[in-house]
Amino acid sequence: MANTACFIIVSRNDIPIYEAEVGSAMKKEEAAQQHQFILHAALDIVEDLAWTTSAMFLKAVDKFNDLVVSVYVTAGHILTTILLNPLYLPGSRITSSHFDTKVRALARKYL
Amino acid sequence: MANYLAQFQAIKSSSDRLVVSVEDVSDLWPSVKEGFEARLPLKKACLNNKTRNPVYVENLPAEFILTTDARLRSRFPQEQYLFWFREPYATVVLVSCEDLDEFKTILKPRLKLIVQNEEREWFIVYVSKAHPSNDQATKMAKKVYARLEVDFSSKKRERCCKLDLNGADASFWEDFDSKIVESIRNTLDRRVQFYEEEIRKMSEQRLMPVWNFCNFFILKESLAFMFEMAHLHEDSLREYDELELCYTETVNTPGKQKDFGGLEQGDDQAALLKPEFKPLSQIVQDDSFREFEFRQYLFACQLKLLFKLGRPVEVVARGYSFIISFSKTLALHEKFLPFCLREVWVITACLAIISSISSIYDGELAAPDIEKEFYRFQGDLYSLCRVKFMRLAYMIGYGVEIEKSSVNSASLSMLPWPKPAVWPSVPADASAEVLAKEKANKQYIDAIKDNKIRIMILQANPRMKHFNIQRKPLPLEPSSLLREANRRRASLSVGNASELLDVRPTDGSGLDGYQRFSPPSKIYASTMPRTYSGPVNFESSVSLDRPMRLSEIHVAAEHALKRTITDPDLLKSLSSLEEFEKKYMELTKGAADNYHHSWWKRHGVVLDGEIAALCFKNGNYDLAAKSYEKVCALYAGEGWQDLLAEVLPNLAECQKILNDEAGYLSSCVRLLSLENGLFLTKERQAFQSEVVHLAHREMKHPVPLDVSSLITFSGNPGPPLELCDGDPGTLSVSVWSGFPDDITLESLSLTLMATFNADEGVKTINSSDAHILKPGRNVITLDVPPQKPGSYVLGVLTGQIGNLGFRSHSFSKGGPLDTDDFMSYEKPTRPVLKVLKPRPLVDIAAAVSSALLMNEIQWLGLIVKPIKYSLKGALLSIDTGPGLMIDESHMIEIDDHVKPMEDKVHADELDITRENAISTVEFKQFVLENGKIALPDWASDITTVLWFPVCAIDDRMAVGASADCPQRQSVVDGMRTIALKLEFGAFRNQIFERQLLFFSFLIIVYKMTIAVHFTDPFHVTTRVSDKCNDGTLLLQVMIHSQVKATLYLHDAWLDLQPGFVHVGKANGRPVSGFFPLVISPSSTAGILFSVCIESMPFGDQTELLQTQSILNIMYGISGERTNGAHAPSSLKSESNEKLHFKVAIALQRPVLDPCVAVGFIPFSSDCLRVGQLVSMKWRVERLKDMEASPSSSCNDEVLYEVDANPEIWMIAGRKRGHISLSNARGSRIEITVTCMPLISGHVRPPHLGLPGLGDENISCNPAGPHLVCVLPPTLSSSYCSPA
Repeated sequence: MANTACFIIVSRNDIPIYEAEVGSAMKKEEAAQQHQFILHAALDIVEDLAWTTSAMFLKAVDKFNDLVVSVYVTAGHILTTILLNPLYLPGSRITSSHFDTKVRALARKYL
Repeated sequence: MANYLAQFQAIKSSSDRLVVSVEDVSDLWPSVKEGFEARLPLKKACLNNKTRNPVYVENLPAEFILTTDARLRSRFPQEQYLFWFREPYATVVLVSCEDLDEFKTILKPRLKLIVQNEEREWFIVYVSKAHPSNDQATKMAKKVYARLEVDFSSKKRERCCKLDLNGADASFWEDFDSKIVESIRNTLDRRVQFYEEEIRKMSEQRLMPVWNFCNFFILKESLAFMFEMAHLHEDSLREYDELELCYTETVNTPGKQKDFGGLEQGDDQAALLKPEFKPLSQIVQDDSFREFEFRQYLFACQLKLLFKLGRPVEVVARGYSFIISFSKTLALHEKFLPFCLREVWVITACLAIISSISSIYDGELAAPDIEKEFYRFQGDLYSLCRVKFMRLAYMIGYGVEIEKSSVNSASLSMLPWPKPAVWPSVPADASAEVLAKEKANKQYIDAIKDNKIRIMILQANPRMKHFNIQRKPLPLEPSSLLREANRRRASLSVGNASELLDVRPTDGSGLDGYQRFSPPSKIYASTMPRTYSGPVNFESSVSLDRPMRLSEIHVAAEHALKRTITDPDLLKSLSSLEEFEKKYMELTKGAADNYHHSWWKRHGVVLDGEIAALCFKNGNYDLAAKSYEKVCALYAGEGWQDLLAEVLPNLAECQKILNDEAGYLSSCVRLLSLENGLFLTKERQAFQSEVVHLAHREMKHPVPLDVSSLITFSGNPGPPLELCDGDPGTLSVSVWSGFPDDITLESLSLTLMATFNADEGVKTINSSDAHILKPGRNVITLDVPPQKPGSYVLGVLTGQIGNLGFRSHSFSKGGPLDTDDFMSYEKPTRPVLKVLKPRPLVDIAAAVSSALLMNEIQWLGLIVKPIKYSLKGALLSIDTGPGLMIDESHMIEIDDHVKPMEDKVHADELDITRENAISTVEFKQFVLENGKIALPDWASDITTVLWFPVCAIDDRMAVGASADCPQRQSVVDGMRTIALKLEFGAFRNQIFERQLLFFSFLIIVYKMTIAVHFTDPFHVTTRVSDKCNDGTLLLQVMIHSQVKATLYLHDAWLDLQPGFVHVGKANGRPVSGFFPLVISPSSTAGILFSVCIESMPFGDQTELLQTQSILNIMYGISGERTNGAHAPSSLKSESNEKLHFKVAIALQRPVLDPCVAVGFIPFSSDCLRVGQLVSMKWRVERLKDMEASPSSSCNDEVLYEVDANPEIWMIAGRKRGHISLSNARGSRIEITVTCMPLISGHVRPPHLGLPGLGDENISCNPAGPHLVCVLPPTLSSSYCSPA
């Protein structure tokens, strides 16, 4: 299996505000589409789980064949990433290239 | 013990309830049987579960069997021990005896014999046949029963009960029930203990070689079965769970190769609901069981118990996880199993559980949470089944028909292909089928071939969607089926890609993808080698080594599946495309419905999309549109644009086909609103052209289109536009267009909303520009009609494309297009327009404060000062009042006004420099047209001064005054007015009037009247400074400058009136050496003339009275027009032309021959005080006889008049009147007038005049004006407080 990961930050209103496809994905376009679909569907499960546990890190909430969905829910379901940018408007898209670079660097480090 | 397996199964199947044996000692059974069996099943039986806790079983089934029955008699003791669960749980001993002796001698020993077996739980039922009326018999029976109790009951346990056949004894049956239950409970406890002990013993030997799972199983299942019979299902289930656990451990221990099973006919159908599907004895393998059958068996037993426990949720939950785990197990053994058995098994298992659950589920589940979970598992089952079903269908060639959506792709492309040991090959007799499949393909390719261009398009654009959207299809296979199938064939070398024709690596394209991507020649080559000769010829490759073509793979798979599948329903579902779609729809709907019930809306909606796709394919556009709408709403609501971009075009297509114009338009707009990267520019252009095309068509039901996501707007950055009240304006607004191309709008307007007052409603303002919106930011100007004062924010943007009205509510941040709709509404709205409250917009004032020259052409300056308001296009009307005229021979000048007030201090130094400065600034001259001037544009924002030549006309000649009683010149005489009217504003609708704004909807005018002061250059006073003895008078003429300019006296002469001559017959000029005489502003100069009185006859005196002397002054003026009087503009500045000023001076001859004397009589008191009445007295005395005077008609009367300054004196009494005075010389009279002085100081007292007589005939004493002293009023003490 290709070493691939899709990283999406979802706001409280279920809107994706940041997406990053990291890893050595071979087939970019289709994979991205599928990953989005899988992560979106996983929100169903997260919704159920998030209220039943106090843990912030929900490990492997969903498995889709070989893909595993893990979720990190922040306290109060508000994103901590807001702190990164004082000009950030809650709910809007994260467009900072700096943030993007950081995410990708971290991904290289740990994947 | 394994040998007992078959027997065990048989016993299990034959005994399904607890047995209670009946020892019929006295042949009573036939008479009590009915009553006994009516008690069954036992109600509320209290049993102990495995942990020795009481459990109440509602209905415990049991069976009465006579001990003489063959079923109980034929057993061997060993069997009894092994299958103890089927042995009676209680023994009822039926006795009847009416004779005490008989009891003692016969019955008692017999009973003792029966009950001696301690293993048995027993009790005695004494049946009394005695009739209640038969006292004797009843008594007897009682005695016998009492005896019986004594003999068999103990303190610990009551073992007897009495049944009266002829009497009604309700308490008996309760007693009976409790005794049966007690017995059963005891037996059960003992047997459980026994089994547990046995199991424990056996478990201890598990690691020993003698261990035999079958034995363990029999023991364990016996216990489980016993629990089940006793309706202790919970305990039974636990036993099975433990059994499963134990088995899993056994089966997983590495060791010798074991037979897995699953190869028999019918094994493809899951046996999860049929524990009895295969006799266990058939699946025994050595000392254990075959895994395939046995795990299903165990699970089936568990399910059976779960159903009995009424736990549908657990059924689906366990069912789902079992299917998943068993499917994994199947995968491990896949190469030994029939082709695709795993997939088929999963499908049948899922369907079996679903159907069983739907038959028992009554729609009433406890908690909502549990209900959700129940539906979710069902959804999962449907979904799993659906995926496996699609996989099978794909392999037999229905892949083209499966929608390549995200969900299908994600499910299938990550699901590995089945891995049989050898891929099935084409059966020998199947060539016809292969041909048929190829024919279908050929038709498809022919269709393409008809249009070569389309081939190219198809190759380049693998997926043709509406709007020509080109997308790489999402894969439905983990790797190419062609490659996979051929790779797994026994006879082929692995992985020879070129040989397999698969030109691409495993890129996931499906069957159709393969066909479309390959060059045409290769399509032909691969699919129709017989009809077309491609570059690679497979004609000769008929051997096994030839790779299979796709159609062959499909046919081979179909045949193999037919061999695998025994379920007729599944076979039917795969038999044709229609059947496949029917089943596919059923499964998709099932999954979607259940997910919806479980509140997993995303899962549910995604499957709705699949339903829609199928509906669409089958032409059911209405349903398709409805489902697609749900999907789109979800994705749009949560902002997953990538996913939305997949589905939205489908919805649009449905709406187009359904002729749902409004929906279609809105879909197009939504497509355009998606992020730029999601569609190619070409595609976006196609969306736009659709919108434009539709918009220009006649629409049946025109609906305003909401384009909030596509067209956003905001006020321009910076402060809001400020307008003065009543002014129209032009508002500039940024409009962001999300259209990929320019778009032409028929109209565009915005609403303004007042922030101060919601009741104001909204005002619509329109754009007058050409309406072409470029992609991105456009600056639109809008005409704002006059608004009420206040702040305004932008409301809604509306407009029209063709016949289509649209509106947008979305404010843009001013940056890139903001797609988060919900944010837009939260943004604080910034006012874009401020209409100010009414205020002065302009001020007009005269440039000079000091007087100008009368009767000369003078520059009158008007300072026009706009107050933060443009005077562009202003029109000034000038209307002069009486006595003033504008000299039209001169041009009107306008120039920048450089704060003359400040500069005044340095006026002298700066004079020259400033004039230079002004000359460089724009300087313009105008001609007055109809009394109006249009102000130049450059002057619209700055303070300007407007100079125009005026001439004030005063026909009266200036009159000199006596220095003794200087007559104040009235200011009003020199006052002239000019009425001004200024029309200005953007459309000249502001007119300023009298420094107040007058509102009208069309015109506002500024009107004002300016007063300008004109004056003569000099004010002249005269006095006789000395009267010489020789009759020469020294006449002092004082010239006061009246203007703020330097005056130069060039010449002055006095034209004397008759009666006076210049001394020495001179020409009346002073010594010319004095000239020119410079008179500074506001200063005074004096000239002395010496004149003497000409002697002349008396009779001419009356003529002399009317004449005046004229003082002529030739002068020049040097003044600044900004200060006041200046050289008339008619004069050239350098010319020596002089101005001529005439002033009349009245000279009076001295009284040389008086006929009347007037004497002022001194006051009686020394001092006059303010507020004190005083009598003024004059004495009038005739000095001559008046006969000679013919002019006076009534000579004895004299007219008098008291003249007093009213500011100083208050006069009481007659000021004017006649008094009689005799004509005789020496006659005298006194005139008294009472006066009161009003001010203190040296003041001139009232003067008595006699108007009837010429002044020259009156001798006054004192002769000239004199002064009296008036003291201040005495202090009033009334306000003083005593010290």
